[in-house]
Amino acid sequence: MADQMAERNASSAFLERKLEADGFTIRYLEAGPQSGGAHALICMHGAGGLRLSRMHEILARTWRVIAFETPGFGTSKANERSRDMAELAGSLCAAVAALGITAYNLMGTSFGGKLATYMALQEGEKLQSLILISPAVFRPAERPPMATPEDRHKLMHAHPERFPVTLSNPEVDSKQETLVRRLIGPPRDPALEEKLPGLSVPTLVVFGTEDRLTPPEMARCYRQHYGNAHLMLIYDAAHRVDLDRPEAVAEVVGDFLARKERFLVSEQSGVIHP
Amino acid sequence: MKAALFNPIRYGGPSPSGWPVAPSAYDLEIGQRSMLDALENLRLADQLGFDWVTVAEHHYAGFSLTPNPMVLAGALTQVVKRAKIALLGPIVPVLNPIRVAEEYAMLDNLTGGRVIAGLLRGTPNEYVTYNINPAESRDRFEEALALIRRAWSEPEPFGWQGRYYQYRSVAVWPRVVQAPHPALYMSGSSPESGAMAARNRLGLGLAFTTVPLASQAARFYREEAGKLGWQPDPDQVIYRMGFHVAETDEQAMADMVESGGDKPHVGLTMSNKAVLAGAMASGYFGKAAEEQRDRVAPRDAAERVEKGQILLGSPETVWRQICRVRDEVGAGILDLFPTVPIADRTRRSIEVFGTKLLPRLHEN
Repeated sequence: MADQMAERNASSAFLERKLEADGFTIRYLEAGPQSGGAHALICMHGAGGLRLSRMHEILARTWRVIAFETPGFGTSKANERSRDMAELAGSLCAAVAALGITAYNLMGTSFGGKLATYMALQEGEKLQSLILISPAVFRPAERPPMATPEDRHKLMHAHPERFPVTLSNPEVDSKQETLVRRLIGPPRDPALEEKLPGLSVPTLVVFGTEDRLTPPEMARCYRQHYGNAHLMLIYDAAHRVDLDRPEAVAEVVGDFLARKERFLVSEQSGVIHP
Repeated sequence: MKAALFNPIRYGGPSPSGWPVAPSAYDLEIGQRSMLDALENLRLADQLGFDWVTVAEHHYAGFSLTPNPMVLAGALTQVVKRAKIALLGPIVPVLNPIRVAEEYAMLDNLTGGRVIAGLLRGTPNEYVTYNINPAESRDRFEEALALIRRAWSEPEPFGWQGRYYQYRSVAVWPRVVQAPHPALYMSGSSPESGAMAARNRLGLGLAFTTVPLASQAARFYREEAGKLGWQPDPDQVIYRMGFHVAETDEQAMADMVESGGDKPHVGLTMSNKAVLAGAMASGYFGKAAEEQRDRVAPRDAAERVEKGQILLGSPETVWRQICRVRDEVGAGILDLFPTVPIADRTRRSIEVFGTKLLPRLHEN
């Protein structure tokens, strides 16, 4: 219940807005300091749709957090126009430009991690850092069963009993799933993998140690293929690491956003008593 | 003068540059053979009359396979029967100081009091290893030093309410054999470290530096000690450098060329730009930040000889190079590590040094 409340509070701190880009009306949630494009963190959600967590709330204390709802998700119309991930990524890059943002950080969760990767390939120097949370760029050949909401719920959390099963709208679920299946591509995509070494943007790849949907063993693929990737495993968290351990994820993501690769060197004081 | 053989256990196979290095590059057979070769070389050094054998702590790369020098020193207690075993040393600010005190006490018992206790701050990348803020390394070091000394000497259990360390009860068993405790050293290339060594009456280790810079650092250390009313003896200044001795100068250089060691290489400190930038921003190098660039600048073999970073050549040539270190740095201990990582050539170099140079060294 407390987590549910925290999540509601997190969401309530964000303002809902809409913008027009590339022929789509895109809903987005925004919070945090309005101090210009350099401090923006653009967030791309996973296949389950736009759902904020306490992680977003914590990050919004320092960063201008903008969470887009990908066209075809949530209350938006079914997206039958985007032919592939690259095209969808292009629409979202246009959405960022429509906000007047010229340099930004990008975070993608699960399916959104793959979408964010395509955006990164298009944005080049505009991108200051790339954060991939339980990303679905590399996936195991077999997926665990997700037939019922209960199955899905168990897959999302390391301790599912701590979270209520979220009620969803079957029509929305069906629309989103159709779009994801059409666009996500194969578990290993040689055409995409060929381009990844050229992605020199500082990249943080975050996996939960208990993730069974995108197992943490996949994390090494990012290190091997992306041009500049750092791996971070979140202990005792599953696919929704940001719901399971929001403070832990927010701390390392915030540090990476602030210091990029220099996040390797601790700046935390070890003083117990002065 | 005295001589030590330092063996960091360099990984004998190809290892990618940079830091950290992916564990996937580690070949199990090569790695295990590297460890056995190192033990054999240190056993040989003991037999040849080297005064010390030394080990160090480094992490996450093939440069050194000793993330815990205490473990290697434990093995050496069963191999090295005469020489002193010097740990130069554990990187104290990233470790639990009570554990360091306990492990040293074990080693001192296992060797009958032949342990030399270096306490180091290490290279800045090691702070990433255990996620410790390098900006606090000096303060952590000085507190850990006081705590370790106290843990070795206090006869009753005591608590410690420090700035960085907190214990409700400390009572180290076994006690150290040497009284009041093993000889202590720290590294001291910067003025801050030299002053700290003088203030705490520690020996000074000068490593991966140049003769002019080491000379300057040793002079500063002696001056600081003088101001405090004491003078370090020659054994309290260690100069660590690479070495390769062969029958002739030509053979020594040919060995260097064959191993690839003649070319400039990037050391641990410079291997990761983000870590180096973080260390510089933290003030890790203190007032010696400019000198640090000179110390770790990549150089070819000839330049390293000229800067006094390696001994290279025939016994006669190397003797002249040793005299320069003795005269300019005033080091009483030469801590030598092999620079040609080819097993039989390294072994031969140790033998030639032991038979042709050690006797002369001991006379001086």
